[in-house]
Amino acid sequence: MSTRKLLTDFFVLMALTTNVSFVVNPNGIELFITVVTNLAATLLKVGEGRILSAELMATGLVADLHLIPALYFFYTGEPAESVSLAWGALAANVVSVLLVVIDTVLKSSVEDE
Amino acid sequence: MQRRKKRPRTRLRERYERRFYEILRELSIPLVILHFTLAAGTLGYMWLSGGDFINSFYMTVITIGTIGYGEVVRGSDSTAGRIFTTFLALGGIGVFTSTITVIARVLFKEELQNLWRRLSMMNAIDKLEEHYILAGFDEVTAELARLLERRGVPFVVLDDTREGLARIAARQLPYYLPEPPFEQETLLAAGIRRAGGLVVNLGDDARNISIIAVARLLRPGKDDFSIYSFASSPENAERLEELGANRAFYPGRMVAGRLAAYLFHPESDYLVTLFDRLAFGEETDVDLLEVAVEEGSPWAGRTVGELRAELGVNVVALRRPDGRLELDLNDRLVVKPGSRLLLFGRAARLEKLRERLEEAHEHA
Repeated sequence: MSTRKLLTDFFVLMALTTNVSFVVNPNGIELFITVVTNLAATLLKVGEGRILSAELMATGLVADLHLIPALYFFYTGEPAESVSLAWGALAANVVSVLLVVIDTVLKSSVEDE
Repeated sequence: MQRRKKRPRTRLRERYERRFYEILRELSIPLVILHFTLAAGTLGYMWLSGGDFINSFYMTVITIGTIGYGEVVRGSDSTAGRIFTTFLALGGIGVFTSTITVIARVLFKEELQNLWRRLSMMNAIDKLEEHYILAGFDEVTAELARLLERRGVPFVVLDDTREGLARIAARQLPYYLPEPPFEQETLLAAGIRRAGGLVVNLGDDARNISIIAVARLLRPGKDDFSIYSFASSPENAERLEELGANRAFYPGRMVAGRLAAYLFHPESDYLVTLFDRLAFGEETDVDLLEVAVEEGSPWAGRTVGELRAELGVNVVALRRPDGRLELDLNDRLVVKPGSRLLLFGRAARLEKLRERLEEAHEHA
């Protein structure tokens, strides 16, 4: 088991779960934690050398680019806009988790060969 | 709908890109630690101030960035706030400075800069067409590169030896790949599929043979892709030609031939050097051009006099279909299909004629 992979996978999943908790119950702290976990997941994805690393990086960046403006809108008095952006990020995070699963399956089948 | 031209992916590019991101990966852990320090500081001040995100983030940045404008967040001037700021500053300043150090060390790494330069160079090579590939960069190839540059002919140099790389660095060549020239992925990255020819000069016949073999597998046609090679002896030159080179040269014989030309024509020194300058591209204004007059060509069946008047260049020699060379050309001589003409004139004019003739042959 690779520690780096464990750490990245943990934050990818955590990015999704915190994102869900914000859209269910929108509040500033939840949104802030969502942004923190998403950015951590993106930073950990850099140069990971996975089969689908480009796709994973792209989904991470999409989620970040939704959530950072969401944070801005939330603290400038437009929480509705912020929630809708967080829904966008949620879609990207779902794809991200699916990609992690697909990548793991692909990698194990490549290793088997 | 017009499809976008797909840029060819080569394994060499993938290797460079992978290494590039591997180096960048060194940044991720320090950045994640800095990220969590910022997050912890912001959360702490948000808790103290009752949720003031913007000011909490600002206060964290000015604290760990050693700016320290003051206690700008509500609650940070309390006892709990000051204890929190003390611990944040103690931990955060170290994290901040060491992260900046790592970023500077990674970004100024020579390998990263070289990889970036090579990737941009490969993007430029991908746009080249009908260029030449020079495999091996010794004094002779360096001189050839100078002549190609003078003529404005693009070329890509392949060399991975220390001497070759030092020569490349001294010449500041626009396109080169510091990889083993005889490897298929190097030749593909140099754009062999779109190139006009290859010059092989690796200083060793065995290495010359291996690159000729790889290049001929990728570009089998001798007519649309020329390979010129150096050889260590006249016998090996013949073998290299049999193995796929259009022409293989034994440098000793070439130099001796040129020297003999000077020795045999001591009075016509200007003429000998003129032909040298023409052949080696030094005389850029005038040039010689050899063209084939094929069946159906607009020039076939015309007289030399007509062609001289119409083309605006001088027809200096004609090689008949049976191989006989005619130098004393009469204006009434009819140019038969299968002949080859040697034209002499302004380089720009000759280039236009060559293009016109190629178009005529394509339509014929």
